[in-house]
Amino acid sequence: MASPLPTFSESWHRVASQKLSLRPNIKVSRQRFRGELWHVLENPLTNQFFRVRPETYEFIARLDSAKTVQEVWDECIEKFPDSAPGQEEAIRLLSQLYNANLLHYRVASDSAELFRRFKTRRQRELSAKLRNIMFIRIPLFDPDDFLKRTLPVVGCAINRFGAIIWMAIVGFALKLVIDNFPSLRNESQAILSMGNLPLLYIGLVFIKTFHEFGHAYFCRKYGGEVHTMGIMLLIFTPIPYVDATSSWSFRSRWQRMWVGLAGVIVELFVAAVATVVWVNTAPGVIHSLAYNMMFIASVSSLMFNLNPLLRFDGYYILSDLLDIPNLHQRAGNHLKHLFKKYAFGHKTSASPSVETTEKSVLTVFGILSTCYRLFIFGVILLFVADQMLILGVIMALVCIFSWIILPLSKFLRYLIKDRELEPYRQRAYVVVATLLIGVILLTGVVSFPHHFRSPGVVQAKNRAEIVALTAGTLESILVADGKTVQQGTPLVRFDNWETALALEAAELKREEILARLLEARKMRPADVAPLTSQLESTLEQINFFKQRQADQVIRAPLAGRWVSPKLTDNLGKWHVRGEAVGLVIDEASYEFTATVRQNNVDRLFSTKLDKAEIRLHGEAKHRLHADELSVIPVEQRNLPSASLGWAGGGNVPTDISDPRGTTAAEPFFEVSATITTEEEAYLAHGRSGNIRIRIGSTPLLQRLFRGIRQLLQQRYQL
Amino acid sequence: MRTRAQDFRRQQKKPYEGLDALSWALWGVAARRRSKLKSYLERGNRICEESARWGDLSDNALRQRLQDYRPLFRRRSKSAPVEEAMGAVREAAYRTVGLVAYPEQIAGSLGLLEGFLVEMATGEGKTLTAGLAAAIAGWSGRPCHVITANDYLVKRDSEGLKAFYGFCGATVGSISGQSDQEARRQAHHRDITYCTSKELLGDYLRDALQAEAHAGKVRQLISTLKNVHPSRRRRPVLRGLYRAIVDEADSLLIDEAVTPLIISRAAPNPSLKKACLAAKEVADQLERDIHFTVLEKERTIRLTEEGQIKLDDACRQWDGFWKGYSRRAELITQALTAAEFYQKGVQYIVESEKIVIVDEFTGRLMPNRSWRQGIHQAIEAKEGLPLSDPTETAARRSFQSFFRSFTELSGMTGTATEANSELWQIYGLPMLRIPTHKPCIREELPSRYFRSESEKWKAFVRDIQEAHETGRPILVGTRSVAISERVAKMLFDVGLHCRILNATRLEEEAMIVAQAGEPGRITVATNMAGRGTDIKLSKASVEAGGLYVVATELHESKRIDRQLFGRCARQGDPGTSRSYGCVEDELARRFAPPISRYLLKLSGSLLPAPFIGWTLKRGQRRAEKLASQRRKAVLANDLWLERSLAFAADKRA
Repeated sequence: MASPLPTFSESWHRVASQKLSLRPNIKVSRQRFRGELWHVLENPLTNQFFRVRPETYEFIARLDSAKTVQEVWDECIEKFPDSAPGQEEAIRLLSQLYNANLLHYRVASDSAELFRRFKTRRQRELSAKLRNIMFIRIPLFDPDDFLKRTLPVVGCAINRFGAIIWMAIVGFALKLVIDNFPSLRNESQAILSMGNLPLLYIGLVFIKTFHEFGHAYFCRKYGGEVHTMGIMLLIFTPIPYVDATSSWSFRSRWQRMWVGLAGVIVELFVAAVATVVWVNTAPGVIHSLAYNMMFIASVSSLMFNLNPLLRFDGYYILSDLLDIPNLHQRAGNHLKHLFKKYAFGHKTSASPSVETTEKSVLTVFGILSTCYRLFIFGVILLFVADQMLILGVIMALVCIFSWIILPLSKFLRYLIKDRELEPYRQRAYVVVATLLIGVILLTGVVSFPHHFRSPGVVQAKNRAEIVALTAGTLESILVADGKTVQQGTPLVRFDNWETALALEAAELKREEILARLLEARKMRPADVAPLTSQLESTLEQINFFKQRQADQVIRAPLAGRWVSPKLTDNLGKWHVRGEAVGLVIDEASYEFTATVRQNNVDRLFSTKLDKAEIRLHGEAKHRLHADELSVIPVEQRNLPSASLGWAGGGNVPTDISDPRGTTAAEPFFEVSATITTEEEAYLAHGRSGNIRIRIGSTPLLQRLFRGIRQLLQQRYQL
Repeated sequence: MRTRAQDFRRQQKKPYEGLDALSWALWGVAARRRSKLKSYLERGNRICEESARWGDLSDNALRQRLQDYRPLFRRRSKSAPVEEAMGAVREAAYRTVGLVAYPEQIAGSLGLLEGFLVEMATGEGKTLTAGLAAAIAGWSGRPCHVITANDYLVKRDSEGLKAFYGFCGATVGSISGQSDQEARRQAHHRDITYCTSKELLGDYLRDALQAEAHAGKVRQLISTLKNVHPSRRRRPVLRGLYRAIVDEADSLLIDEAVTPLIISRAAPNPSLKKACLAAKEVADQLERDIHFTVLEKERTIRLTEEGQIKLDDACRQWDGFWKGYSRRAELITQALTAAEFYQKGVQYIVESEKIVIVDEFTGRLMPNRSWRQGIHQAIEAKEGLPLSDPTETAARRSFQSFFRSFTELSGMTGTATEANSELWQIYGLPMLRIPTHKPCIREELPSRYFRSESEKWKAFVRDIQEAHETGRPILVGTRSVAISERVAKMLFDVGLHCRILNATRLEEEAMIVAQAGEPGRITVATNMAGRGTDIKLSKASVEAGGLYVVATELHESKRIDRQLFGRCARQGDPGTSRSYGCVEDELARRFAPPISRYLLKLSGSLLPAPFIGWTLKRGQRRAEKLASQRRKAVLANDLWLERSLAFAADKRA
């Protein structure tokens, strides 16, 4: 106790002559926490708990309606001069007991006060409900009677024998899972699909009902009463819950832990049975249901129920395991204490704990759970907002209020008004101001080099796509795939008999016109002029067809490697004009063509691009440098390579209606950069990778706002 | 939800919090807006203009008219002809006691009736203002307590206005410290009761104690229903609390707000006595800054680690109850507090082997009062006096929470502006600032600030000498009795004779104050002494330039400074005021902002006077803020106790 309360109190006269006692129905049990003895008072009517130290309990236990408080206090002081509570402490204690409805007193209750207390309690519950909007509880009925009746049957299983059976079945199921792992994984892809959701939900309710009954039976087995069962709206999804808090008064912490674990034990058992069913059924409703139950039991119990960082079963188990009750609250208080002591220089600030190990546990737990909670709630928030925007916004508002505004205003009030801080207020102001300024400077003013990443492909800088210049059948391949060719080397030849016939017809026509021209010169001079023009057009036709014939042989437009994979398969196949047959690639220099999505575009144009780094997929350890960045200032939809799009396994969303998968779902901009260093990376045309473009320096805060704005705009069109 | 219990068990309203507090504060700003004053003054003027209508009536006719008004004010209704009645009452005052109320006074009276805190300068006739309002309030038949600063004023005002109230058809009673039970009961059963706050709260607490001793509150209620013979019924002295008109409201509602009135009985505790003596011995061995540190601002002592070690060593031979570390540390801290913060001559004096507490504000002795358990004994141990038995509290209540429980509360003071937001927040009292009847021609000379106390006193004495030569009366206001004596000695050394007003006996006090206005007289008084009595100037004094008021240092509250200055230039008289200050004043030592303290330490002799002035003013504001926070904390604690200990039969409500 760092700041002891005074032994004498000025308000003592108000209680001194009172004759008080504990209510007769209060149950008292002794519990040990980290080797220290505590007494837990339980009011079974209201299910309220009150934990007191033994020396305090000595005082409470002596309270008797036949003695005045003064007499009791005198007695305590005489017996335990050192540890007995002082008057001030005794007054606080009595008022706490009174507020917890544990005190029996003689005067008529101040009914107005009772009503007021009831009202504030209800308000507090309501506001707690609102703040915990993700887990609203609606109590429905009292299962205690049912549990008591069925316990003789069910309870038989809660012993060593039951444990052996449990292990056998769960072990067997585990083996089945390992054996059938591939098909298990296959089915998991459809688990969150729209059609499976009803089944998933049925499975969830089914398995959670078992889970909750697990808690209830274990609790009943050890003698705790279970009076409330109801529905919890977990992120607006109704699932059953049971109130097994009476286990908190169990003396043995192992029993408390078993009650905490009971849910998962039962859940895993059900999952094991479901596994057996799943393995032994053909696809159908039962099969899928069993699969869903397996999925829920494993994912939800490991990620949520057993996770001690959220306040589910795992938290209470950990709390018992560490023997630190109220772990969450104490961790919070401990963190506050650390801040007060070291930041504000509050020398007399006391940690809720006196033990070194406990302190470090509290510190670690406090930090981890806070971060984790923020993270998980952020994820949930985004998820909900994706499904139902309005609901998401309401939830976000509630969360912002209860996690940011409320603590902040509390902190401000503490900082400005709290009398405890009075001697340290100057320093506290300075520390808070410094921190604030520090954070603002760091995030708002100091610029950090800023990058963004875009997917793209490596492409040869000089390359030519070889297409059929005229329609025709592929007659022969003149250069084998992969050979180096010079400029002008014939690569492939097409054949088109129509062209040949047309040429022949045209040439015959020329003959005919020439003959008729001879005759006309002699006989009908008037016909000469039209025939001459006819001849000219025919000659043009002949040239045209000749050119076509020449085009049937395709030559390399530049020197490089001739790439035409699987072209031999196409021999004799009809090619339409413009159909691709291969590529000629100049391997001397490569460039990287990246697709920059809309949200980064403004930064592309607003800053001067100079340097970039490229990492290729599968060879990310090599960092390639690139320069001569240039942006094609026109939005595009055709991806440079199908491998960038979703259809090709890339990250760029593609239009589903395009079978080739090269049409992006949203327009993008193309950036190309020349790759300067090669290092050991194997550069090949078409390799995909990511480019990291540096675009000047901007403060973090600016980036954060930008990110949030874009998120809102993109997801919710706000 | 309203319940039966609430009707007899008055629960205090909690002050508003959060947004409610903000809107309440905004409402307060609206409630004390300037335009209100205008309408009140207009009403006052109108009533005075219509006075001819009453002047024509014969005494009997006027009395009859006043009688006729009485039933109209029985009910709390808006339709009661307040303005008309005020005119009649004004006329009655003129005919019975010869006082003519100015429009300003009428406006003040109306304000009092309508629940305002009326700010009126000294000498503006607050007695009559309260009287007019009380007469009308008395007609309602509900208890109306006029609360004044001391017994002398109670007697003076109730007797002075008796004829007036009689004429108005209202009965008046008064209670002084000497009144016995029956006299008190009778006085409380009159329409209007003059008393001091201590007597009223004392009666209230004694009633509550008696009720508790007799039976629980509920049983008491039942016994009034059952046909119990009146003689067997324990009759309370009070008939209830309804309306209070508080004079010097700021001193009662602010300065003394958290001082609790305690009804106590002696409770012998030999072990505490023994422990206090032992603690004193140990405390004498501890050295400041080595074994403990003194936090001046918070007035607390903190043991250092060395001190704790030393304490452990020293206390090995102690036994029983005091063996425990926390008890022991508490005792030692108490003994050290007694040694460091309680000074003979400032906080207490020793009179016939007994500690007599001196009220720091008034300089008045408070016999039969004691500090809280332990401290009193620790001081006795320090002074080597026989230890008195610690007292045990039987009932206790602070004035703050007591005055909050009145249905109709109104008050008058000379200085309320500084505290108006607090008065609104805690008591719901809006302020109405009544201007003086004649324009005030006080000359406020610029304050003088010095780097050291000796410089200050030198300049001060010179100033007094010069002023004295002109023949003006001079009033010197000091912080404490000790400084008063020091000032007197200094003046005596330069051949000036002065009278010290140490507030030991009230009537004498009033006499000295009454004479303080004679030419050439120098009076040294603590800031609060002689409140309620005007310093009337003789003709020669007025011609010499009126009263010259000098404050030797700034007080912890600006209000108190203003009160002191308010004693000159009253009712259109001439007058001058000036204050002195230096960095060695207690205000600077305890409340100066850290930056000033740092600068003073660094280069104390180079700092310019304006900076010292700024430091002192800033310190004053901080002191005010701290005091206000303390009062709010006490209130919060009171409320907490009330709520949390509701299981204990309430001794107060």
